[in-house]
Amino acid sequence: MTAAAIRTEAPRDAGRRRITRGRILLYAFLVSLLIAFALPLLWALSSSFKARADIFSYPPQPLPLPATLENFRGLLDGQPFWSWFMTSTLVAGISTVVSVALCSLAGFAFAKYRFKGKRFLFNLMFSSLAVPFAVIVVPLFIMVAKAHLTTPYFALVVPWVAPAFGIFMMRQYTEQAVPDALIDAARVDGCTEFAVFRRIALPLLRPALGALGVWSFLASYNSLLWPLIVVSDPDDYTLPLGIQALFGATGRQYDLVLAAAMLAAVPSLLVFYLLRKQLLEGLTAGAVKN
Amino acid sequence: MTSPLTTRAEPVTGHRAASAPPAPRPSWWQRHQRALAPYVFLSPFYVLYGLFLLVPIGVGVYLSCTEWAGLGTPRWVGLRNYRDLMSDGSFWTSVRNTSLYVVFTMCVVVPAALLIAQALNARGLRGRDMFRLAYFMPVVISPIVVTLVFGLVFDTEFGLANGLLEAAFGFGGIDWLGDPAWARVTVVILVLWRWTGYLTIFFLAGLQNVPKELYEAAAIDGAGPVRRFWAVTLPSLRPVTAFVAVTVLISTAQIFEEPFLLTQGGPGESTLSVAMFIFRAGFERQQLGYAAAAGVLLFLAVFTLGLLALRALKVGRDQ
Repeated sequence: MTAAAIRTEAPRDAGRRRITRGRILLYAFLVSLLIAFALPLLWALSSSFKARADIFSYPPQPLPLPATLENFRGLLDGQPFWSWFMTSTLVAGISTVVSVALCSLAGFAFAKYRFKGKRFLFNLMFSSLAVPFAVIVVPLFIMVAKAHLTTPYFALVVPWVAPAFGIFMMRQYTEQAVPDALIDAARVDGCTEFAVFRRIALPLLRPALGALGVWSFLASYNSLLWPLIVVSDPDDYTLPLGIQALFGATGRQYDLVLAAAMLAAVPSLLVFYLLRKQLLEGLTAGAVKN
Repeated sequence: MTSPLTTRAEPVTGHRAASAPPAPRPSWWQRHQRALAPYVFLSPFYVLYGLFLLVPIGVGVYLSCTEWAGLGTPRWVGLRNYRDLMSDGSFWTSVRNTSLYVVFTMCVVVPAALLIAQALNARGLRGRDMFRLAYFMPVVISPIVVTLVFGLVFDTEFGLANGLLEAAFGFGGIDWLGDPAWARVTVVILVLWRWTGYLTIFFLAGLQNVPKELYEAAAIDGAGPVRRFWAVTLPSLRPVTAFVAVTVLISTAQIFEEPFLLTQGGPGESTLSVAMFIFRAGFERQQLGYAAAAGVLLFLAVFTLGLLALRALKVGRDQ
């Protein structure tokens, strides 16, 4: 018995040594990737504190020495940054609330009911994922423009509040998170169907709602192409539009736009950081289960 | 709150109604609400779907057969736009560039994401969440911010990229954004940087779902790490891979932001994508019919490719 124990121990030890070397390589790989992903952003962050003349210096300087807040001051004093910021966050906020409500409701219907035409409706919804935005962009713009609905609070919100991806995600999550028995019990207690959804399903769906919330917020907050097409009044500019216009207006100078870009990234990163767990798990739930 | 008489599926409520004081006769809605609920719940989506997807597709198909600058009435020209597209050099350039982006993401970004996920899935890895978050971060940040950062980093004279190259290998001065070939490379690097971490989390979730017994069984059978990867990991990852591949295919086929913001499609048309071609025709040159026709072709291509990919990978069948 002791012989056997010794015999199994010997190769295990050798294995462990090999694993240690592998570990070092593994961590080296992961850390170098980390640097590759973070470096451009850190570089830009550092540059946003450099004086205009120092942003492009030779050889490149890693640290902003001397550091200055001039870029941020110039941006906030001279540009309608807060107006862009408000439009962007408001539009994204409204889209998020409406889209979470619509998607969870539709996802609940697909997950927990049997009804005629379900398969057809589901496939119809699902196939819209394959419609490239570039296809509908011209006609959609014409429709919105002819209807005089180009205000950001309509045009940037309404056409996008019910993404098929969100419904798909909510369906996947609802199926596993809401037990049928609970729904039946609520019905027995006399709950209407909507009350079943609101009182029973919604509380159980909280993690997925968080995931969908971040996802819609980011999608709306970061979107560029559609706002670029549909918003023409500079007073209605969102952050990406404002930054884009500022970059053009200053002759592609980086000082102000870098400051704007860094400030614009704050809400994205904040929302992402606060709900990181829900987002990463919620996004993958559908893909893995399918 | 009390809907005493509902559908057949709830006999218990019937019993309740009997013992309860005489309730008002349930309304039509109360009697049918359970059967109608799913339709009601789905209706907002399908209203929006019809208005903002089906109608635009219809309008787009109609417009693609017209000539229109946005004013007056569209003039019917039949299939002329399509014929013109077929002989439009810019259009084919954009198709070639887009194909390059698609092939690159499928052949480089997706495998890279799988490799990183495999590394992150190592047993007992410390800081897994930190790595995962950091890799995911680029996709969270607004594309305009990202491309500004890239413009800074890939500046020919003062950029970080050339600076690092020079420090490490003694050469630099690459005209990242001004040379046609290098501009394509830069766009592709941007795509790689932005999307790899995003795709990684899907593969990682898939890997974490692979039953450990499979690996153990393979190890007992004497399979080495490489063999285990081919025999166990890849087959178990098929659903995730299918999902990722189809998503990547569809989204890369309509790539717009990266080339638009980084190079404006240039120099010349060397980084122009199909989506940019449509944008340029429709909103810079007021050729709305022409843009719509290009859109219809893109739609057909994406739809066919997507269906083929789904068939090949057998997903989406079981709904």
